[in-house]
Amino acid sequence: MASFTRIRACDYLFHLNVFRSSFKKNGNLRILGFHSSAPKHVIELKMPSLSPTMTSGTIVNWHKKEGETVSPGDVLCEIQTDKAVMAFETEEEGVLAKIYVGDDSSDVQVGSLIALLAESGEDWKNVKSSETPKISSEVTQKSEESKNVIAASHQPEGNSKKSMIMGPAVRGLLQRYGLSPNNILVSGPRGLLLKGDVLQHIQKENLKPVPISPVAKPIISSKTVVTEPKTAKPATVKVQNLTHEQEYQDLELSSMRRTIAKRLTASKTGIAHAYNTVSCKVDSVINLRQKFKNEGIKFSINDIVIKAVATALDLCPDVNVIWKGDQLIKPATVDISVAVATNSGLITPIVTDVLGRGVLEIGDVVRDLADRARIGKLQLHEFQGGSFTISNLGMYGISEFSAIINPPQCAILAVGGSRLELGDDGKPMTVMSATLSYDEEAISPVAAATFMSTLRSLLESPQSLLLGHRSLPA
Amino acid sequence: MFSVTLRSLGRQVHQQNKSLAPLFTYSKNGLNTEASFDTKPFKLHKLEEGPSTSVTLSRQDALKYYKDMQMIRRMETAAGNLYKEKIIRGFCHLYSGQEACCVGMRASMRSYDAVITAYRAHGWTYMMGVDPAGVLSELTGRSTGCQRGKGGSMHMYIKNFYGGNGIVGAQQPLGAGVALALKYQGTDGVCLTLYGDGAANQGQLYEAMNIAQLWKLPVIFICENNGYGMGTSVDRASASTNYYTRGDYVPGIWVDGMDVLAVREATRFAIDHCATGKGPMVMEVVTYRYSGHSMSDPGTSYRSRDEIQEVRQTRDPITGFRERLLSTSLATAEELKDIDQEVRQVIEDAVKRAKADKEIGLEELTADISCNPIDTRVRGVTAFDTLTHRRLGPAVNNH
Repeated sequence: MASFTRIRACDYLFHLNVFRSSFKKNGNLRILGFHSSAPKHVIELKMPSLSPTMTSGTIVNWHKKEGETVSPGDVLCEIQTDKAVMAFETEEEGVLAKIYVGDDSSDVQVGSLIALLAESGEDWKNVKSSETPKISSEVTQKSEESKNVIAASHQPEGNSKKSMIMGPAVRGLLQRYGLSPNNILVSGPRGLLLKGDVLQHIQKENLKPVPISPVAKPIISSKTVVTEPKTAKPATVKVQNLTHEQEYQDLELSSMRRTIAKRLTASKTGIAHAYNTVSCKVDSVINLRQKFKNEGIKFSINDIVIKAVATALDLCPDVNVIWKGDQLIKPATVDISVAVATNSGLITPIVTDVLGRGVLEIGDVVRDLADRARIGKLQLHEFQGGSFTISNLGMYGISEFSAIINPPQCAILAVGGSRLELGDDGKPMTVMSATLSYDEEAISPVAAATFMSTLRSLLESPQSLLLGHRSLPA
Repeated sequence: MFSVTLRSLGRQVHQQNKSLAPLFTYSKNGLNTEASFDTKPFKLHKLEEGPSTSVTLSRQDALKYYKDMQMIRRMETAAGNLYKEKIIRGFCHLYSGQEACCVGMRASMRSYDAVITAYRAHGWTYMMGVDPAGVLSELTGRSTGCQRGKGGSMHMYIKNFYGGNGIVGAQQPLGAGVALALKYQGTDGVCLTLYGDGAANQGQLYEAMNIAQLWKLPVIFICENNGYGMGTSVDRASASTNYYTRGDYVPGIWVDGMDVLAVREATRFAIDHCATGKGPMVMEVVTYRYSGHSMSDPGTSYRSRDEIQEVRQTRDPITGFRERLLSTSLATAEELKDIDQEVRQVIEDAVKRAKADKEIGLEELTADISCNPIDTRVRGVTAFDTLTHRRLGPAVNNH
């Protein structure tokens, strides 16, 4: 054996085939140190029982993607047991090669194959399991069964009595050929419809099976809730025709909605929310916008609001703070998250370094981010981070509302729509309300109030946006 | 007086040898046969002198420790997986992260020294001589388990290993009792009595320490401090977290439990102390547990996942030891990889056996209750249906 190990690298290829043939019987080429040809170690990941009473569970979402490296202690996915949502950790090292049961899969039996783990350095794309995953077929079978049940219950009411008594084969045939039992000659005892009767009828009439109509796909609007609120539906609604026996339908919650709810609940219950509302006279902003518009330069009120908020944050840096663990930090730049509604929920892409951008550029960035958010093409860094959030519902005619802080941020501004009011001088004026929700632990009420009054003066005289840091009216 | 002088002289010579050690190592295939390391300083309580922080490790020992730690880690991983497949039922406490403790202690133990520990017993069972298949089959309740499947996770025994003990802290006075037996028999054997940081606050520990000190019993009270007593951190549970000083009049030593060599040296020192009739000693071994307290504890509700990952990346006993072996050329990466493969294979086979082997029959319900039963009748459900006691298995630690 020792002599083989001394073969020089250039002889490797030449000798390899010889080795293969001579060592095949012994099985293991690894003894020669050729690790690349070592037998592949594939670890089959089975649905774990994460509570003593769990028999099946739901895979809420995968934290790892196929091809991603896995090291001991990593969370692979979140699993909803009969008691709680728990993290499924691994003690193994390798590459997640194949996911058999994806996000939002419910009723996965404990012990069924859910994924494959390959050794690191292996070609994970070609890894195969010795066991064929049963779970997916079981699931489809189940859904087909339930489809049949629904279809059966869809059968027109008022059938004669003989339709009540028939074998499953007969019922299946009737359904497949779309027949009503009333039109078929019956030969069985006590008026029982037999399979033979149906077959005869089919032969006589030369009937063809009715094509199985596909279940209607859920309507997923590519537009956002913002633009078409009436047609927007949660993406996971199963569209079914409701019979009057089914008085309700089950809406499955997506894991994203569940995550949003979890985070917002944690925020609302764990952070001391305090609120400040100001009403700003925005006639000057509207006039300014109109003036530019007449000259063919377009931007939205929202773009100005973003710029004004950034400037106000620059002037009141005590509000531009975020948590880093237990530590409060002041970011170097003003990065503003802008809430965008998508079909699967609210997402907050970030306009970075707002101070360094002009209003037109801000508008371009916001539109680009919002468009990509709606088609789910945002990258992680484009919606994670930010030092402050603006949520604008003005386009719905909402006059004012309050929002929930998105930690680790410490404040969020809820902007309402503009409305006409009677001014002190007896003339109409356009007023817009904005409500700041802030974390009282991080931001003092005085700092928040100063910020809001600064924001108001900036919006009431937008030309002051041109001025620098030092020239702020006290 | 003379003997003391002789001993200290001997120690000096020994230390000289150690400092010269690198000169005596020779290379074979570019690998060293011996290397020296420095451990973290030990903290001492009521001791004038502690173990040496400069440690010599032979290549043979290095490979053995590495293999043992990997074996325990993979065995515990396998146990966790079997539990999640519902093949292991009942209690199951994993030792992952604490491997260096039992491997280091075992390295300094003599064949006749005894061990008694708490319910986190799988690693110790393996180190005391039960093969992984024996441990895993015991966990799955099979007849090939080290206790014929009747003990389960917390009740495994073998010669000189007085088991996992299910009751928190109950093993502390038992350990003092084992030490009393060793002394009574006239050997210089020592009993290693292990408990967790949670059980360190049990009253019976202080009763046992008192009598052990009074009677100069050869017992080492070892506190495996993994930071959490179930879900309570040491700072929330203990008025003093310096567990090595908690014996008051009993001398104590603090050891980095993530370094197998430090544990080995400290244990050798403690055994020397106890075996020479100086009475008991307390040893605090600071370690960390990666998994939850038991299988029903996800282990992340009282500590952050980041904390666990940080320990894995910076203090892991196996990764740290591997790096030491590679940096001092005691072993090559290929060798260690081969050990990993071998360990993986052993555990895979053990898992297969633990799934396939038979369970014992119902007739063993009343077998092996007592070692020497005086009355062989065992009461059934009522006083009128009597079952018969049978002796089947070997009696472990029957003196």
